[in-house]
Amino acid sequence: MNTMKIRKIIFSLILMGPALMIFSQDLSPKEIIRLADEKFNGEKTSTSIMAMTIVRPTWERTIEFKNWTSGRNYALTLITAPAKEKGQSFLKRENEMWSWNPTISRLIKLPPSMMSQGWMGSDYTNDDILKESSVVNDYDHQIVGEEEYDGRLCYKIKLVAKEDAAVIWGHQVRWIDKKDFLFLKSELYDEDGYLVRTELGSEIKTMDGRLIPSRIELIPAEEEGQKTIIEMKEMKFNEPIQDSFFSQQNMKRVR
Amino acid sequence: MITSASVLFAVFFALLFRSLQLGSYDHMFRNAIESYTGYIQVQHKDFWDEKTVDNTFPYDSQKEQQILSDENVVAAIPRFESFALASNGPQTKGVLVMGVDPEKEVHLSKVTDKMVKYRLTEESIKKIQQDPYIPEKAKELAALFENAAYTTASRLQLDLGINDKDASQYMPSIERYTEFENGTIQMGEPGVWVGDKLSQYLQLGIGDTIVLISQGYHATTAAGKYEIKGIVKLPLPDLDNKIVYLPLDICQELYNAGNNLTSLALAVKDNDDKVIAETVVRLSTVVSEDQKVMEWREMNEVMVSQMDADNKSGMIMIGILYLVIAFGVFGTVLMLTAERKREFGVLVAIGMQKKKLASIMTLEMLLIGMLGILAGAALATLLILYGVEHPLIFKGEMAKMFEEYGMEPKMVFWSIDTYYIWQIVIVALMVFLAIGYPIRKIFGMKVVNALRA
Repeated sequence: MNTMKIRKIIFSLILMGPALMIFSQDLSPKEIIRLADEKFNGEKTSTSIMAMTIVRPTWERTIEFKNWTSGRNYALTLITAPAKEKGQSFLKRENEMWSWNPTISRLIKLPPSMMSQGWMGSDYTNDDILKESSVVNDYDHQIVGEEEYDGRLCYKIKLVAKEDAAVIWGHQVRWIDKKDFLFLKSELYDEDGYLVRTELGSEIKTMDGRLIPSRIELIPAEEEGQKTIIEMKEMKFNEPIQDSFFSQQNMKRVR
Repeated sequence: MITSASVLFAVFFALLFRSLQLGSYDHMFRNAIESYTGYIQVQHKDFWDEKTVDNTFPYDSQKEQQILSDENVVAAIPRFESFALASNGPQTKGVLVMGVDPEKEVHLSKVTDKMVKYRLTEESIKKIQQDPYIPEKAKELAALFENAAYTTASRLQLDLGINDKDASQYMPSIERYTEFENGTIQMGEPGVWVGDKLSQYLQLGIGDTIVLISQGYHATTAAGKYEIKGIVKLPLPDLDNKIVYLPLDICQELYNAGNNLTSLALAVKDNDDKVIAETVVRLSTVVSEDQKVMEWREMNEVMVSQMDADNKSGMIMIGILYLVIAFGVFGTVLMLTAERKREFGVLVAIGMQKKKLASIMTLEMLLIGMLGILAGAALATLLILYGVEHPLIFKGEMAKMFEEYGMEPKMVFWSIDTYYIWQIVIVALMVFLAIGYPIRKIFGMKVVNALRA
């Protein structure tokens, strides 16, 4: 009797052991996406300086800009180079988006229909730059496997857009570094399930104490010879920025 | 006599109709070509299919010299043409931005001739109405044409219903009241000219600022604000509604396009279709590989096919006209035969051969037909010759209606040409067909019956 009980307990422990271990270590797919997203965008705020290179079959050009974000709702982007476009700024406040152009001193509200259009002529859409939609809240997540990418072991997570979410993608597949929670590769599909673009993260560097991919390459699936490369030059996380920073007045002032 | 008259009408109307139609096409093309595309253009090879500022070519003075050395080329006019959003406060509209060298444009679009010189503003109408010497009718008409713009005094005079003989009496003061001051645009100086209709839509006048936003060369942001220096009124209302002229270098700067051009429009010596085609072939060997030479037919494709369709419907109209006329001629012949049945019977009864009678009849009919055709052609020629010199210009409500349909209120006659022969041949053929009836009747005639008729 006793031995039976002991044996039963041992047996169940043997059975449950690995399961427990998995549980203690395994995060939900949503959690993984959240961690990766926050790692890149900062839990509260982020300030960054970036350079964007637009590559086209016959030409390429580079734009430099500064970017401030606070949570999901506020973002401000200021173009710093080239000289002709310097001073243009873009503001996102909740659901509204504005653009300021100093040469014509006009503040223009971007209509929602422009969200899926290229930003500054790049392959990035206005939606990407101003982060209207959230990879955490607007999608249902599911781990579909583990794969190695660029020598790093990654979670492969499929994100399916929620029915009522205002997003432009049907679903996404993202490869996220298991150790450091980095978006290393993403494939974005439209509503009909066709691949629209691939995003590749590389040149992993430490910025403001965090390990992040400092170069993101965006490759549209259907346009041959086109891509857009973003390089992070400087990033700071969670520095206090007041909400009043994200104002129309500041769009015209900010340096 | 009746037969002769109906043939006369047939020839007269067919000729007149055709002349007007052909004349209007020619006029429309001339307007489009001369105020916009020119007869021949050199462009980047992809520009026509994809009109972006990326499909442009750098200006090359050596190439220009080579092009200019062609025997049929008079001048090469550099242009930079693109689209933009133009705005004034809450009013925004898509416009056609045309970077031009105002001095060189004289060779082709003569845009300086299309500057608005007179305008019936609220104020000027008031002045006209307060002037006791101006006739009442002109005052009424002035109110009807409020805000209309004029490039010539003669058009203004026409709209106000003032006769040529009264013109010297009234026009000087009316011209003074309605005078409109334009400034010039020059290379190197920011400033624009806008189409009259566009300026009205955007509610902009001289001295106001227009804001242009677009995408420039290599996807840069193109944005600029410019002072309006002048208003132009183009004879193509469609173009008048969206055109913004900028000095070429200012336009290139706006689009960050360096010294690139979208096109080199060529002014030619001889604009005959065949000569143009030959010139295009010659120039194609001169221009570099990424450029192509286009002639006006390709560039005005929409208009060409529109004209084609209109031409076809015009042909159907003429066809119906012929049908009606053919029955008319046939009807008179029919009646004539019936009336003279007894006469024919008597002639045959007293010994005339039917063959002889038939040939006399044919001769008679031919004579009548010829008379009709010649008289009709002569009448039409008189009118057309007058019309070529004095095109029909509509005024009042009619003119407004034309403009609403996007046409110039003007109908032009086409001078005497091959179409004349065709109309005459067709009418002659109808006469021949009609002759067949009395001849058959004569041969099939029973003398006894005919005598009793």
